[in-house]
Amino acid sequence: MTDRSEQFLRLSSRLTGFGAFDLRGTGMLADYLAALEARLPANVLDELLAHGDDADDQAIGAILADPKLGPVARNIILLWYCGTWNALGASWSAACGAIADDKNAVISAAAYQAGLQWTVAGAHPAGAAQQGFGAWSLAPGASPQ
Amino acid sequence: MSAEAPFDVVIVGAGVAGALIADRLTGAGLRVQVLEAGPDTARSFDGYTQNLQQFYAAFAKGPESPWTPAKAAPQPDTGDLRTQTGYFVQRGPQLYGSSYTRRWGGSTLHWLGVSLRMLPEDFRMRSRHGVARDWPLDYDALAPHYERAEHMLGVSADVADQAYLGVTFRDGYEYPMHRVPPSYSDQALADAVDGMEVTLGGERATLKVRSYPAARNSTPREGYAPQGAVDIHADGRPMDRFVGERCAGNTACTPICPIQARYHAGKTLAHAIQGGLTVLAQAVASKILVDPADGSVQGIEYKRYDDPNAVTPAFTTHVAKARVYILTSHAVENAKLMLASGLTGRGGTVGANLMDHPALYAWGLAPSPVGPFRGPLSTSGIEDCRGGAFRARHAAFRYDVGNDGWKPATGAPDATVADAVKQGLFGGRLRDALATTLTRQVRLSLAVEQLPDPANRVSVDPAHIDAIGNPVPVIQYRIDDYTLAGMAKAAEVCRAMFQRAGITDCTGQGEAWFPPVSYLDQTFRYHGMGHFAGTHAMGDDPAQSVVDPDQRAWDHRNLFVVGSGSFPTMGTSNPTLTLAALALRTADRLLASLQAA
Repeated sequence: MTDRSEQFLRLSSRLTGFGAFDLRGTGMLADYLAALEARLPANVLDELLAHGDDADDQAIGAILADPKLGPVARNIILLWYCGTWNALGASWSAACGAIADDKNAVISAAAYQAGLQWTVAGAHPAGAAQQGFGAWSLAPGASPQ
Repeated sequence: MSAEAPFDVVIVGAGVAGALIADRLTGAGLRVQVLEAGPDTARSFDGYTQNLQQFYAAFAKGPESPWTPAKAAPQPDTGDLRTQTGYFVQRGPQLYGSSYTRRWGGSTLHWLGVSLRMLPEDFRMRSRHGVARDWPLDYDALAPHYERAEHMLGVSADVADQAYLGVTFRDGYEYPMHRVPPSYSDQALADAVDGMEVTLGGERATLKVRSYPAARNSTPREGYAPQGAVDIHADGRPMDRFVGERCAGNTACTPICPIQARYHAGKTLAHAIQGGLTVLAQAVASKILVDPADGSVQGIEYKRYDDPNAVTPAFTTHVAKARVYILTSHAVENAKLMLASGLTGRGGTVGANLMDHPALYAWGLAPSPVGPFRGPLSTSGIEDCRGGAFRARHAAFRYDVGNDGWKPATGAPDATVADAVKQGLFGGRLRDALATTLTRQVRLSLAVEQLPDPANRVSVDPAHIDAIGNPVPVIQYRIDDYTLAGMAKAAEVCRAMFQRAGITDCTGQGEAWFPPVSYLDQTFRYHGMGHFAGTHAMGDDPAQSVVDPDQRAWDHRNLFVVGSGSFPTMGTSNPTLTLAALALRTADRLLASLQAA
C-alpha cells in the first residue's frame, strides 16, 4: 500500500465514520482513488490527501467549508456510501480546474454493490447480496458499529 | 416484400398475453409464430445477466434501466417525463406517467408481480354504482381462468387472506404456492393499523394490512414445481438452471429480479418454444393488411432489423401470413398498430378510453427501526378501500406497503445520504444519523382507480415517426374529478394511518419530480403505475367496443386484440393477472372455434 493510498484511507475514514478495516473490506479503495485521480486536477487531490495525515474533526469541518476542497470531500463521502460520482458542475471547474468526465455516474457495478449505505441501513444492495427466503420477515439487526 | 410460409396463427408481441396464448395454441398442435419488436436477450441466462450488470452500473435505476430499447422499437421511459423528450408525444392536459417494455418477455421483465383478482363489483360499475360501463363478462365467468392464470404465472398466496369485498374461490381451491412471508415492516404497520375504522362515502370500512397474491416463487404446495430462471440454448441443449425457484429477497422485483424468482413471460415462452413455437425477435409489426371487401386480415407486415443500437437501423420488410392473427403487443402498441393500419373501430373507438392508476406516494419515519430495503419491493397492501357504495361518488383506491424505504419517492437511500452530507454531516455523526433514518423509512403507494374517458386516447400523427418510419403514440390524457376526489380521500386516510402508527409524516420532503395535478385547493404529485388499459375495450355492442367478449375484433373476424386494452374498466387491481386470465380464455375460445370450423 502506497503512502497515497494510506492518506486516502485515513481521510476517507474521517469523512465516512467507517474504520480502515471496513473501508478496505469494500475492496474499492484502489478503484475509488483511481476514479478521483482520473477526474480531478492533480493539485486539488494532492492538497486534499495531505489533510489525511492530520485531519481531526475540526480540520474536516474546515475542509468541508472550503469552496474548493469541500465539494470534493463531500463527493468522497458519496463515493464510499453510494459508489457514485456526483457532478461538481461548471462553477467549481471554472474556479478550481477542469474535471474529466464530470457526469453523475456509478463508478462500477462493484462500486454500487459495495456502498456503505446498505451496511448502515442494515440491509443489502438492491439486486445483489440476497439475504435468503423470508429473511425480510425477521426483525432488523442492529446497525453494526 | 417477401411472403413467408404460412402459420396457423401469427401473434404480435412476446409479452405475457402473447406467451400464454402461444403456449396454449402450440400445445394444441397449432403452428404459431410470434413477432417480437424488441431484442431477446432474456432468452439466455447469460444474456439476462448482462441486463442485470447494466442495472448495477446505471446511475438512475428506474424501471427501464436494465432494458435499453432498440432504436427500431423505442419505448417510453419515466425518466423522460419531465423533459417530454421520450417516446410518447404528450398532448396533455396531464402527463401520462407510465412506461412499458418492447422486448422478449415484455413488461413482465420489470413488473412487481402483484396478482390481485378484480373484485366482482369491478365488472359491474354501471349497474352497481351508476358510473362508467359494465363488462360483458362477470367475475364468475372469469374465475376459472383466474385459477389457470395463477398457476401459469406461479402466484403465491393463501386463499384465507384473499376472500374479501365479495371475492370468492372455488371450494378447495389453493394458490400454487404459500403466501410470500410478509415483511417485518408489514407486521409493524399491521400492529398499529389493523382494525382502524375509516369512513368512505358515509360507510365505515375497517382497515387491515394484508398479504397480497404475488407472482414470485415461494414455498410450493403439493404437486406444484416452481419455475426458475430461463436459459434457452441455441444448440438445443435443455434448460439446466435451477436458480430462482424460491425468492431470495433481492429487493429488486422492479426493475430486474436477478434470479428470475419473480415471473416473467420468458418462462412461458420457454415452455412454448420447447413445444415448437417460433419466436422472431427484432421484427416490428408495421401494418395489418386487411381485405377491404370483408374486413378479414390477410397478413401482418413487419420490419426486421439486425442492429438494436444503430441510430438509423437498416431493416427489411416482410409479411407474416396465417389463418388467424392476434395482437398482444400492449394496450398502446395494439391501438397504435391498428390506427397506423387504418383500423379505427366504429365511431373511433380504437385508442379511446386510455386508463392508468394515477398514484401518490406517502412516506414517513416509523417510531422504531422496521428494516426497510429488504425483501420483495412490497409484500402487503391495504385493500379495504377498493370497493363500496362510495364508488358512485369517487374513485376506489388501494395501498401498496413498500419494503424499499423512500426509494421510489425520493431516491433513497442515495438521496438520504446526499441530504445528510449536504447538511454538513460527516464521520460518526453522519453514520449515526443515517442508521437512525434509513432503518425507519416507511413508504406507501396510493393507487387510484380511473374510469374510461373517451377523451383520453392514443392516436397517431404522420408528423411523428420513429427511426424505421413507424408512428409513435400520441397521448391525450386528463385525470378527472372522480379520480382526484378518490386521490384526496386516499391521502386523508393515509395521514390518519400514519398518525395512528406514530409515523412521522415526511410526505413531500425531498420528493423526486413527479407531474402535478390540481384538485380544489390541493396539488398532487402523481406518478403512473404502468397499468395501461382501455384502448380497445371489449363489449356486447359493436358500436361501443372494439372487440367482443372473446377479444375478437368486431370488424375483422380473424383478428384478436388481446391485453389490458380490452378492459372496459379497470378497478384497482394490477392488470396483469386479469389480462392473463382473459388471454387464456381467448385461447380456449379460439381453439373451440377452429375445431368447430
